[in-house]
Amino acid sequence: MDEYMYFVCFLLVLGVRVNAEIERPRGVSISMASKYEPNDKQTFQCLDGSAQIPYEHLNDDYCDCADGSDEPGTSACTNGRFHCTNAGYTPKNIQSSRVNDGVCDCCDGSDEYEGKIECVNNCKELGKKLREEQDEKRRLHEEGFKKREGFIAEASTLMEGKKLKIKELETEKAEIQEKLKELEARKTEAEGPEKEAKDKHEQAWKEQKDAREKERQAGKAREAFDDLDLNKDGFVDVFEIIPHLEFDIDSNGIVSEEEAKEHLEDHEKVDYEEFSSKIWGNIHSIYKKLVPDEPQQVTPPPVEPQGDTGVPVPTEEPQATPHLTPLPDEGDDFDDEDDEDDDDDEEESAEEDKMPEYDEETKALIAAADEARKNYEEADKRSRDIDGEITTLTSYLNTDYGKDQAYAVLRDNCYEYTDREYTYKLCPFSTASQRPKSGGHETNLGRWGRWENDKTQVYDHGQNCWNGPDRSVKIHITCGPDHQLTNAYEPSRCEYAFDFITPCACDQHSQPQVKNLHEEL
Amino acid sequence: MGRFLLVLRKMAATTIRLSSYLCCLWLIVQVHSVNRDNFKTCEQSGFCKRHRSLQPGQSPYKVLMDSLKISSSQISVQLLNTKTNVRLVLDLYGLQGNTARLKINELEPLKPRYEIPMGDVLVGEPKQQDLKVLDKGSESLTLGLEDNKIVLTFSPFRVDFVAGEEPVVSINAQGLLKFEHFRKKPEAPAEDAAPGEPAEGEEKKEEENKEEEKKPEQEEEPMLWEETFKSFHDPKPNGPSSVGIDVSFPGFENVYGIPEHADSMALKTTKDTDPYRLFNLDVFEYELYNPMALYGSVPVMWAHNEKSTVGIYWNNAAETWIDISSTTADKNFFSKIADLVKGNSEMAQMDTHWFSESGVIDIFIMLGPRPKDVFKQYAALTGSTELPPLFAISYHQCRWNYNDQDDVKNVDANMDMYDIPYDVIWLDIEHTDGKRYFTWDAHKFPSSKDMLNGVAVKGRKMVTIVDPHLKRDDNYKVYADAKSRDMMVKGGGGEEYEGWCWPGSSSWPDFTNPEVRNWWASKFQYSEYDGSTPDLYIWNDMNEPSVFNGPEITFHKDVQHYGGVENRDVHNLYGFYVQKATAEGILMRSNNEQRPFVLTRAFFAGSQRFGAVWTGDNMGEWSHLKVSNPMLLTLNLAGITFSGADVGGFFRNPDSELQTRWYQTGAFQPFFRAHAHIDTKRREPYLLPEENMKIVREAIRKRYSYLPFWYTLFYHGYRSGETVMSPLWVTYPEDKSTFQMDDEYLLGSSLLVKPITEQGAVGTNVYFPGSNEVWYDIETYQSYAGSQSTYINAPLEKIPVFQRGGSIVPRKMRVRRSSSLMVSDPFTLVICLDKQGEALGDLYADDYKSYAYRRGEYIHRVFSFKNNILQSSNADPNGRGASREWVEKLVIVGYPKAATSVHITVDGNSQSLHHSYDSSSRVLTVRKPDVNITKDFSITIQ
Repeated sequence: MDEYMYFVCFLLVLGVRVNAEIERPRGVSISMASKYEPNDKQTFQCLDGSAQIPYEHLNDDYCDCADGSDEPGTSACTNGRFHCTNAGYTPKNIQSSRVNDGVCDCCDGSDEYEGKIECVNNCKELGKKLREEQDEKRRLHEEGFKKREGFIAEASTLMEGKKLKIKELETEKAEIQEKLKELEARKTEAEGPEKEAKDKHEQAWKEQKDAREKERQAGKAREAFDDLDLNKDGFVDVFEIIPHLEFDIDSNGIVSEEEAKEHLEDHEKVDYEEFSSKIWGNIHSIYKKLVPDEPQQVTPPPVEPQGDTGVPVPTEEPQATPHLTPLPDEGDDFDDEDDEDDDDDEEESAEEDKMPEYDEETKALIAAADEARKNYEEADKRSRDIDGEITTLTSYLNTDYGKDQAYAVLRDNCYEYTDREYTYKLCPFSTASQRPKSGGHETNLGRWGRWENDKTQVYDHGQNCWNGPDRSVKIHITCGPDHQLTNAYEPSRCEYAFDFITPCACDQHSQPQVKNLHEEL
Repeated sequence: MGRFLLVLRKMAATTIRLSSYLCCLWLIVQVHSVNRDNFKTCEQSGFCKRHRSLQPGQSPYKVLMDSLKISSSQISVQLLNTKTNVRLVLDLYGLQGNTARLKINELEPLKPRYEIPMGDVLVGEPKQQDLKVLDKGSESLTLGLEDNKIVLTFSPFRVDFVAGEEPVVSINAQGLLKFEHFRKKPEAPAEDAAPGEPAEGEEKKEEENKEEEKKPEQEEEPMLWEETFKSFHDPKPNGPSSVGIDVSFPGFENVYGIPEHADSMALKTTKDTDPYRLFNLDVFEYELYNPMALYGSVPVMWAHNEKSTVGIYWNNAAETWIDISSTTADKNFFSKIADLVKGNSEMAQMDTHWFSESGVIDIFIMLGPRPKDVFKQYAALTGSTELPPLFAISYHQCRWNYNDQDDVKNVDANMDMYDIPYDVIWLDIEHTDGKRYFTWDAHKFPSSKDMLNGVAVKGRKMVTIVDPHLKRDDNYKVYADAKSRDMMVKGGGGEEYEGWCWPGSSSWPDFTNPEVRNWWASKFQYSEYDGSTPDLYIWNDMNEPSVFNGPEITFHKDVQHYGGVENRDVHNLYGFYVQKATAEGILMRSNNEQRPFVLTRAFFAGSQRFGAVWTGDNMGEWSHLKVSNPMLLTLNLAGITFSGADVGGFFRNPDSELQTRWYQTGAFQPFFRAHAHIDTKRREPYLLPEENMKIVREAIRKRYSYLPFWYTLFYHGYRSGETVMSPLWVTYPEDKSTFQMDDEYLLGSSLLVKPITEQGAVGTNVYFPGSNEVWYDIETYQSYAGSQSTYINAPLEKIPVFQRGGSIVPRKMRVRRSSSLMVSDPFTLVICLDKQGEALGDLYADDYKSYAYRRGEYIHRVFSFKNNILQSSNADPNGRGASREWVEKLVIVGYPKAATSVHITVDGNSQSLHHSYDSSSRVLTVRKPDVNITKDFSITIQ
């Protein structure tokens, strides 16, 4: 390459523009221009100080400085930056690798000067559009900001109210605690005499009942003895025991002599006295009166019929399962069977087994104690309710509602967004969910978790995903005129994202103006 | 099939109550719940069992010399099975380039046996080479083929290939030739043994009984006329038809090739396992280090030792199994046919045994003698890897799925925001309207052209998936069209074959039919594929084919193809044809101007001509990162050089360390695409923690900076069939320590790569080959001597890559958002000097996208550095391309001292250049030669 060409290239790449306000190499911003002025030695000092290079090596499409500062206007340095002035719009620093790559990155087209692509300078249009957008955005933001002020006040009032309420409740609780002590004392005081009177009454009744029971058992023993004593010889003997299958100890279906004898405490036969004193006590619970022609035989109920067949039988409908033998009792619990006779007996004698009423004196004591108890319990319940209310209020107050607690107003509200398939619901500081539009149940996508940053909330530990994680949602919050869920999507399997706009996020008094919005050429 | 889980879940989630769906659900559960059980073992495959049970040394075949016919490059002779009297015919051809072909067919088959149509796998009729009759004795016939001898021994029949004086290949030396001739089905139905139950006494029986008299032994062989696997019945209307023979490699201890298996590069003996299986299958969550079949098949095998490299190509598209064992050679025999060095030392030998379910025996014997020779010989048969467009060897960003247009736009914007280059963003099956390929989901992709144009502004492309299964929906244009033209494969009963895949009930076009392929290709016309643009390319998945409810998740074997061919005959070719037809479609839509790009999962020998291959549904685990190297080396050895593994792993969620190491590895593998299953967390590189993101970005940028080198490598591969990613022994064939090395490889012969594939590793032992070599770290330029191992520190940010002293590697250091934005950028030449202070390298360049290079519009430069002069000259007078690319910098590594002056001479004009020297790294940098790449120039250092 001859020297003339070098010179021409040099001028070209330096891109000294006569009509620019400040002469500076291509790709350098005005603020940096002074650093690119030629010095006495006609050298350029790399901005990181790493090297001094001849001034003509500046922007000569070869990277000399480690920091890339010698090639602000070319793509030579991998770590360099090119400054687009973008007059009429916002200036921009782009990577050097975007210079002359055939893509218009600067609206003024200054990054594409080699002619790989014809870039239209549309900075003015963009600037106009941007200003309009920003005006609109600013207007909305202002509007939102005002609303937000209101919300903050509202939240503050709300918070104060809640705090006040807590105080009230705490005061009330303290009072109740005092009162509780007194009421408990009164209760204890009333319960002493009550118990004494009741115990006395009940003890008397028990004695009476025991006596009656003894009498009854004696009668039963006599009756059984008479029934057993088939030959009426005044003795019950082994052979009279044998027909009673309930005495079949080894469950082999017959009562052997040995078995019978064992029931008679190793006697061949016993008279009534011995029967009632030694035998009856042991056998009364199993003894059954002999019913002629219909020997009572209890078949154990079949066990879990579903188990054997393998046919899936709905377990909710056990009655559909055929029983092999009619059960003696339709009740669920087969063990009841043993108590059957006793139950019957008790029913028969229910009337006479009922304890007589307390006397008037005792009744009065009971009434007094009931009253004391009721007073105590009411107060105690109130105390516990207060605890609950305080917990709720504290949790409310302890939640982070963002800067200035502005988001507190969203609590206890829900917002929905519907797309092609689902309706998504966000209840801020509570839950996020979705339900199919076509109907069907709601899926919990997450419960309130935390602020990831001042504009992103996380709701997690939602319903578990088949073969995946628990569902979770990230809420991306931006400033908007109203509270509105504007989008819901699933960037990764079972990891959702919602876009939510709200004035609560309009937290800057005024959107900054477009920086350095050039009005110049 | 890696995607069953999703189907299941989606179905469950939407609680579809149609009974057919539930039926499918049930099938899928069945299929998914068992893994290995879905696929046949040798024991469960009738013919595998029959061939595997043969005993060596009992060959019933002898050559009938009376029938010998000799022409200039071919001999033809009959083989007689002395037990059954059935005759076969052997054809032996001499081919150009140290290659021979050996074919065995029935002399008089009941009907023609299937042979792959000429021009499909073989690029054309191989050029013949004269055979000379050297000796014709009573026991053998000796032929000369160039410098080789071919010895045909008559009884028992065997053929030996002797290169120089070394026997290198023996065929039927063990006498395992078994050729199941077509026969009439016995009238009384054969008593088939139940599947999986070995019939007694089968080992000793040859089934070639006289056709006229059916001996009882014939019926004793298992599964001749039908077989059943799980609930699938194979009626085998043609009866037994398998063929098999043994091939030995005397003098060799290592054999390679026969992808695709998730296994080491050096093949293992199969004594204690099943044979290696070649049968294209969709294997869900495949296991590592075993001989099970995977998505593709290339029946080519190389044997390599210090002295030579030879191999065979088994030209058969049916299910094939290969047994491998190691033994010692029969020196006694070989001393008769070759002047072996006498001595007591034993000679190693690898025995291999090949058997296919149908077709003919058609073996190409490639005699090397050097690795690069066999690659060339194989490329002459099946073609070389097409020169890919530049974007295709750049970085690809894929995921199942990018949800919608906004998602695509966001990923694109984020890649730019984080300054991570990428060339292609991919759309998986969810982009379609209900898995109807060639369509778009109207809600998610309402204006695909806008989307495509949006990425194309930055020189980027997109790829959509187009699978071969068509949803059976008469309102689906493509299906209805294929159906009305009767283009689908047929079931055994002649009905349109129906199976389950992504869209539910599906049918498959018969890609083996050339008319169907033309029809399919026409579907890629812009007028046919609505919403497509020239920036859209294609991905063929599930083309084994994958049939969710089919036997072994694929077609029934009796599925009928074009020309009365059973899937049994052509199974391994189906996916090959799908990709071929697709590539033809992409080519046609640009009037044959632009190079297509099609990625395929299923493949066969020759698939390299139609695009790239990836290793299918791998897992985001360290073991799968590690196995990607041997798998890709094997694919390269088998001609499929444009291949890669899903970066990050398809299934599971790799942690950031694994992702980082995977990107570093992928950046130095031929096909570089990140991909992820729909159930995984999002993992675009910018989502990594900042430290990892920066390292990954650096790795991707490194890939881009080496694109000129990669492109040149692919050009060499295209021209000569060379591997792109190569085992060390390809360049250092005499270095025995490299023969089984598959965790370290070469790119061309210039870059040595040892990716870190171990969790937590902070360093690795690198073996530097070549006793006279010196290797330079590509980052620090630190030098390492050859023929030794050194521990190299490799903290997370380090990729151990080394440039060979003596090589010149062209790079582009101005990495931009995509490769096409870099096409006119200048080159940096990295010149690493050898011990003599010399270096050699080259550069190929063209427009990086079209076929203009075939009209001479390309540049091939050769750079040589010698006597302190770098010379750039034209390597190829046919290349007459123009270019805006220029040379911006020379980095001369290993230069002993600072220079006093540097001059460049172009067109007779000389000019001095600035230069600088770093004495600590011994690097001389020459500033801005500023010479156009098409120019001859010299740069002199004083």
